[in-house]
Order: sequence, then structure tokens, then C-alpha cells
Amino acid sequence: MICLEQVAKSFSGVPVISDLSFTVRKGEILGFLGPNGSGKTTTIRLLNGVITADAGQITVAGFDPVTAGNEVRKRCGVLTESAALYGQMTALENLLFFAELYGVSEPKARAEELLATCGLRDARHKKVAVFSTGMKKRLGIAKALLHQPEILFLDEPTTGLDPEGAKSLIHYIKELNRTCGVTILLATHQLKQVEELCHRFLFLDHGRLLEIGTFNELAEKYLTAVSIKVETDLEIAGPEFKGFQLENKFPGYLQFKVERKEEIPILLKELLAVGPVYSSVILGRDLETLYFRLKEEKA
Amino acid sequence: MNKRAARAIITKDIKAISSNVQLWLPMMIIPLMFSIVLPLAVVLPARFYEMDKIGNIDPIRKLFSQLPPGTLRETIFSFDGINQQVIFFIVNYFFAPFFLLIPLMAASVIGANSFAGEKERKTLETLLFTPLELETLFGAKILAAFLPAIFLTLVCSFLYGIVVNIAAYPLFHRFIFPQGNWLLLLLWVTPAVSLGAVLVNVFISAKVKGFQEAYQLGCLVILPILGIFIAQMTGILLVNSLFLCWFGAAVLVIDFFALKACSRFLNRNQLFTSQVS
Repeated sequence: MICLEQVAKSFSGVPVISDLSFTVRKGEILGFLGPNGSGKTTTIRLLNGVITADAGQITVAGFDPVTAGNEVRKRCGVLTESAALYGQMTALENLLFFAELYGVSEPKARAEELLATCGLRDARHKKVAVFSTGMKKRLGIAKALLHQPEILFLDEPTTGLDPEGAKSLIHYIKELNRTCGVTILLATHQLKQVEELCHRFLFLDHGRLLEIGTFNELAEKYLTAVSIKVETDLEIAGPEFKGFQLENKFPGYLQFKVERKEEIPILLKELLAVGPVYSSVILGRDLETLYFRLKEEKA
Repeated sequence: MNKRAARAIITKDIKAISSNVQLWLPMMIIPLMFSIVLPLAVVLPARFYEMDKIGNIDPIRKLFSQLPPGTLRETIFSFDGINQQVIFFIVNYFFAPFFLLIPLMAASVIGANSFAGEKERKTLETLLFTPLELETLFGAKILAAFLPAIFLTLVCSFLYGIVVNIAAYPLFHRFIFPQGNWLLLLLWVTPAVSLGAVLVNVFISAKVKGFQEAYQLGCLVILPILGIFIAQMTGILLVNSLFLCWFGAAVLVIDFFALKACSRFLNRNQLFTSQVS
């Protein structure tokens, strides 16, 4: 659905994107991860033909964003980081305005439908200037969905949202992908929020691709040693238990380090043989740890 | 041009102007001064006080004596006294350049706000993300500034006509406004000048990053009109029909080149680079 090959872009001689190649499959949610200034927004602009690449090839939905930009833009919806809405217009007026630009048939019905879906029906006649960040983001998503795009670009969709707002937005994105099969490229640095949402993750740093893959693929590659925290009454003296390294002790908890995740059931079996185990949690096998491990290795 | 999208942008921009008091209030005050307050301030005293007795009237007599042969000279000298001559001249000729300033000021304010305003609201990038042809965006932005400027000028001219005819009627016992030069001014020169001002301001607005910067630069288009005003006051120039025909044609030629210059910006990458980055 989206394909980049050796794309490069610089502003005033400063490289922002270098030799970037990746693909996004139809119906996939790709987590586009990286710190501020890593080139995520620039990539979204390139993919929509708003700016042109200095080198490389880009295809979106089978079209070149530079030579067939409007064909690409007809098929894509974009939520920019600031949501970019007209504050002096109401929510409904904003959607009706953008519906005209996208050539939506029956704009009023579509706008009302999206306002209801995004939980903004009661606020549809309120000016956007008085909206909270969460409401603006939801309206921004409604705007991006007006023309029923095949591809959705979400640039920092959860920035500025409270945990509840972020959770509800993530749920909505998931449902949208599940029910409509929309391909989503989700640019963010809020790693914890998107861990369970995305099918694959792409890590970007200083405009360069660090790694791309599913969480399991990347974890297998970079998170070989893991820590496991076990809830138990057992008292262990010394730095080891049956050959397993004891990393830390807390009242009622023991934390072990294992070299491979396959060792976890063996450890648990050994513990259960000598005492009760109430629960166990794997530590350090999350997106954030993966990100920092990746950065360390690629530095 | 995508008419549906253009109509949406024009409507949005005009609503944005009408809902922004800081934008439209200064734009209304000066035109109302030109069309109501100033004409009354000039015509009423001229009606009630004998100018011959005020003295220092010689420069005006000299100005009239230097008028070229033709309808205006004949009309001026057909009046009985200096009061009628002065009122007729002021109403039909002296005030004419003011009515070029009205569309210029309106077009400058709205034109300067067009792209720079979108940039300030961070909405330009969103517009660039839509499947909107840049010809449509530019065309709509130009019309969104041009139409209110023309409308404001026509309304002000209509008010001016009512005010001066009522104020001067007891002296002339007939309507003295408008003369032929005003029809040329309103239907030929004003649209050309407004279009020029809009093009220059939209062009500047697309280049700079903020409304204030765009407005300050764009206001420079008023200078040639001030030149015409001063030239007429000093007797160097007379804003008669012939002058207006040529002036309108010259401005249209300039508009053509300004339009060509604007069309160079019909490129998302270039517009983005000058606006968003």
C-alpha cells in the first residue's frame, strides 16, 4: 500500500531523511516510532506529496505523490499533530468545510455520522476554539475520515491527551482498522500507548531506519535476556537459585534474570517445587525497553 | 477550478472576516469617513459660508482657470458662484482618489490575511493535505479578498452619492453626482485596482510567515494612489474620464504580470517551504 525506496530529504542542506526504505501492507497498522525530530512528520508530508523528496521513489496506493498527488490525497486522511482546525468555526462547520474540499457526497449526513462516532454530537454547534485537546484530536480524526480514506496517517494522535482520552482514541483507531480495514501509519513517541495497537513497528532515528518488524521478531532479536518478577513467600539466600541469577529481592517478591525466555517455565517449575508462586511478570520485554536497546545497539 | 471547493474557501474566508471585529472595524471606519463624514464636512460649510469672503481663494480659482477645455471646464464655469464651483469639483473630482483607496485598503487587509492567516492558524498544511488543486486555492483566496473589496466600495459610493446629493441639493436644486468619470472609476478602475492589490497582497502573504508582516508590506500598494491624490490637489493631474480609461488599462496590464508571478507559487513544495517550514 505504501512503498519507499532509498528516500532522502534535506532542508537547507541539513539531512532530515536519509536512505529510508520500507513498505506498509494493506490493512496494517504500522507504528512509526522515533524521538522528536527523527523525521516522522517529514515522511508523512513526503508520502502525501506536500513536499518532494531529494532522492528515491515513493508509491502510495499505487500512485506517485509528486506526479499524481491529488490521487494520493483523495485516498489518504491525515491527522496532523496540532489537528489544524478553524477555531472560530463550529465542529460541524469545520467538517462541512473539509467535506467540500474532499468532494464528499452528502456532506451533512457524513459529518453528523462522524461527530456521533467520535462522541462529539453534543458539541457539534460549539466553536472549536473552546474544545479540549482531546476533543480537537477526535474532531481531527473525524476530519481525516470524512472521505473514507484507504490510508490514514496519524501524527502524534495521543499527544496532549489524558490517559482516558488516549485509551479511548487508541480503541477507536483499533476498531477502525478492524472494521474498515484502513491501513494506518501511526507516528508517535508514546511507546506504551501503541504497544498493543500496531501490527509492526518501525524505529526511526535522525531520519534513518533503525529497524522494522513485529514486536516478537524484534524482541527475539534484541531482548534475549529478560527479567522475571515472581510473587512468592520463598526466602532465598545468596545470588543464585538453582543456577538462575537472582537480580533483586523485595518483600514478597523475587526478581530473576534469565538469558532466554524459554528458561522461564523451568525457573517457575523449580520455584513451585520448593514453595508457592502466586504470580509472575516478565520485565523489560516491552516496546520502550526494545527502543532503548535498539538505540544502544545501533548507536 | 473546483467550484465547490472554491465556494467553500471563499465563504469560509468571508465569514472569518465578518466574525473578526479587529479585522473589519478598521476596514469600515475609514471608508465611512470618506463616504459620509468628509463629504459632509466639506459640502455643508461650503453651502453656508461665502467663500469669496473667506479669502485665500485664489489658488482654487487658479486651479479652475487651468482646467483643460471640455465638459468639466464648461460645467464649472456654468455655475453662478465660487461655492457651487468648489462643491461640484470636490464632489466629483477631488474625492475620486479616496474611492480608489477604499478597495485598496480592504483588499490589502483581506489579501494579507489569506495565506499568512492560514499559516498563523496552522491550517495551511491541512489545506495542502487535501486533494485541492492549488489553482483553486489561489483563485478562491483572490476572490475572497476581491469580492468584499468591490462590495465595500460600491456600498460606500452609494452612501456617498446619497450624502452629497442631499447635502448639495439646496444649492444646486438638482443631483450633481455621479458624473461619467465615477462610472468609469467604479466599473473599470476599481475592479482593476482591487485585483492588483489583492494579487500583490496574496503574493506577499504567500511569501511571508505572518499577517503583520504581510499587511505592512502589502500596504505599499496604497502609495501610487496617494500620488494621484496629491497630483490632483496640486493641479498636475485631473482624474477625468480619459485619465481613468488609461489608468484602468495600465493597472490591468500590471495585474496580468502579477497573476503570472502568483502562478509561480502553484507548487505545494514551494508554498510549504515558504509557509510551514
